[in-house]
Amino acid sequence: MSTSWKQLLFQTVLLLISCRPTQTKTSGPTPPPLVPISPLSTAVRSVVLEGDSHTEKVELENPVDLELECVWSGNLNNLPNVTGVWRKGGDELENSRLAVPLENEKYHLRRVFRIVSEENLGNYSCVFGNEAKVDFILAAPQMGEVRDKPIVSYVGDSVVVVCKMEATKPKPLSWNWYKANGTDKEQIIYAAESHQYEIKDKDWTSKLVVHNLTEADSGSYHCEAVYALGTTMGHVELKVITLWEPLKPFIAILVEVVVLVAAILLYERSQSKKKCSGENGTNAEQSNTL
Amino acid sequence: MMIKAPIHFLNNRVFLSATVTVWYNRDADSIMPPPAATNLGHTPPDGGWGWAVVLGSFISIGFSYAFPKSLTIYFKEIQAYFSVSYSEIAWVSSVMLASMYAGGPVSSVLVNRFGSRPVVMVGGVMVCAGMVLASFGTTIIHLYLCVGVIGGLGLAFNLQPALAIIGTYFQVKRPLANGLAMTGSPVVLFTLAPLNQFLFDSFGWRGSFLILGAIVLNCCVAGALMRPVNKAIQPKPKLEAPPCDQEDPSANANAQSANLLTEESQSEGKKERCLDKFIDVSLFKHRGFLIYLIGNVVMFFGLFAPVVFLAPYARHQGVDEYSAAFLLSIFALVDMFVRPLTGFIGNTKWVRPRIQYFFSFAVVYNGVCHLLCPLAEGYSGLVVYTVFFGVAFGMLCALLFEVLMDLVGPKRFSTAVGLVTIIECGPVLLGPPMSGALVDKFGDYKYMYYACGVIMLVPGIFFFIMNYYNYKKLDEERRQSAGAEMRNSDEAVELKMNQIEKIAYETDG
Repeated sequence: MSTSWKQLLFQTVLLLISCRPTQTKTSGPTPPPLVPISPLSTAVRSVVLEGDSHTEKVELENPVDLELECVWSGNLNNLPNVTGVWRKGGDELENSRLAVPLENEKYHLRRVFRIVSEENLGNYSCVFGNEAKVDFILAAPQMGEVRDKPIVSYVGDSVVVVCKMEATKPKPLSWNWYKANGTDKEQIIYAAESHQYEIKDKDWTSKLVVHNLTEADSGSYHCEAVYALGTTMGHVELKVITLWEPLKPFIAILVEVVVLVAAILLYERSQSKKKCSGENGTNAEQSNTL
Repeated sequence: MMIKAPIHFLNNRVFLSATVTVWYNRDADSIMPPPAATNLGHTPPDGGWGWAVVLGSFISIGFSYAFPKSLTIYFKEIQAYFSVSYSEIAWVSSVMLASMYAGGPVSSVLVNRFGSRPVVMVGGVMVCAGMVLASFGTTIIHLYLCVGVIGGLGLAFNLQPALAIIGTYFQVKRPLANGLAMTGSPVVLFTLAPLNQFLFDSFGWRGSFLILGAIVLNCCVAGALMRPVNKAIQPKPKLEAPPCDQEDPSANANAQSANLLTEESQSEGKKERCLDKFIDVSLFKHRGFLIYLIGNVVMFFGLFAPVVFLAPYARHQGVDEYSAAFLLSIFALVDMFVRPLTGFIGNTKWVRPRIQYFFSFAVVYNGVCHLLCPLAEGYSGLVVYTVFFGVAFGMLCALLFEVLMDLVGPKRFSTAVGLVTIIECGPVLLGPPMSGALVDKFGDYKYMYYACGVIMLVPGIFFFIMNYYNYKKLDEERRQSAGAEMRNSDEAVELKMNQIEKIAYETDG
């Protein structure tokens, strides 16, 4: 009986020793088992390179598994293998250098990137040898039409500053407004706290209403569209002037009109006086001859 | 053409003056419109200060037509400022246009009573006041009232008198004068568009409205140029003889002969003074006026829509925004040069007697142009279409009021144009929205162009047929009245001869 107990103890100890966790090599970061991995949607962007280089803008709003593909038809002497490399922001990515075989007269470079936060955005490039390269610029959706000339308004009046995201692009989650202080320092505008500001967000546009303008309110206003992956900025200039500014040309033109009208009427008066005196003269002559 | 008769040459000269009067009328018929139209009571100078008046009309007409169109640049910002929809802001332009057309009869009555000059100056001040008040506006209703109603009425007070005064200054060169004056519209539009953009960038919409108010005050300068024509220069001798002549018995004979000739025009003058107070409803019995009115009402449904939809149609074809806007510039440039040219052609001796056919041709040409538009492919096709359309539109606009003057005569023109504009109010306002509805329903612009083409073609053909009929009738009437005049003048001369013989017999005896 005692030998079976000893055997069991020995087997148990052996089992415990062999079951020690060992380091395994995995291709990517293993997420901790407690946090569930939400299935990300996938997207593919493929570029066929004509020439030496190409830049492709990719706009992303939500976390995604993005597959980037570069296809190159090579040059005059096509080697059976070419070195392909992936770079982010100029730095070579780990384990991305490989030999690309020639398939059907073309070289294909593919890689899947997990885009989950703002750090994952940036400039990705695939490079064939030292000759051809495609740049993918990953960013949050950019604003289209931004007014480059300032909005002009008047002291005491109110103004509506509009920032619009194109309706073809995804809707922003929220908006933020900043006022630049001239020394590049930006102050966020909290509409709830102030009497002067009002922010109205609707679908793809955000409107900042500024009441009781003063000349100090002139300057640059920045609007920020917030997406899951990042933010985009747009800016609008505001210029506040007094009523005297347009009043100057108004008075100038008024004076011009009065002068012209007076000149024309006086000229007419003098013409008719000449005619009157001329006619009186001829009438007198006629009566004399009779 | 009139030889002034020195009074001491009794027999021969009196006879001569009578015959020369008849010759004057006969000569006039060959190059001038039918006799009913020339009954002005004075000879139009056809030059001299008339060209300054044309400049004044150029400015007034230019502002009247171009001002409502040029305000659209401000709409986007005003829309954001008042938080209203685009259609609500577009109403400002529509109200202004509607007031301008509806104010026609009021304008006519005032012109008949006071003449062109005061009305134009008051109109200029009204538009200025409207714009200045609007620049302080706090609601969109404020804008409707100030820019729309007051501004529109002020522009009406500019348009009618400017057209009417040309008729008093020009007879022989009238189509040319009309063509030149109507060129004001594209020229002012061409200048106002970039100017408005500059004002908006520098001063915002409030400041711009203020400055536009001042700019439009230049209509007062135009009004100052519209000197009332000197009616003292007339072919018929004065009815009130100067004091020293009354002693001479021969002068009485002359005055009596003058009375015989001017009897008719005197009674007509009295009648007209009564009617002047009200709208001349007798115009609705005028054959030529009715033809013009019916044709125009139908035509106006399709006249402005193609202009409004030119840029959107181009963008629909895939043209970018700047090239589409450039099409409108091409249109305005072509329009600018075609209008005076049309006036010049209308003045030539081949076209002038049958100028109604020239107008009918312009209308038909417009219709054909629109029917062929859907065939235009690509940007170059659109440019070709724009050029042809520019020519068509310019021809039509240059002749639009000239033919009305030709039909009713310069004296009744003011009232006629007032009636025409208020009746045209409907088609002008309804035309573009109806075309827009057509585009929305079919999702394609070509049906709208077909519709506009047909809408222009039908009145064109109508004009051709009815004017042929009208000319025939007018020729008949002229022959009859010429015959009657001959008989009248023969009788008058005989009467005078008898009187003079009597006097001579008495003095001799």
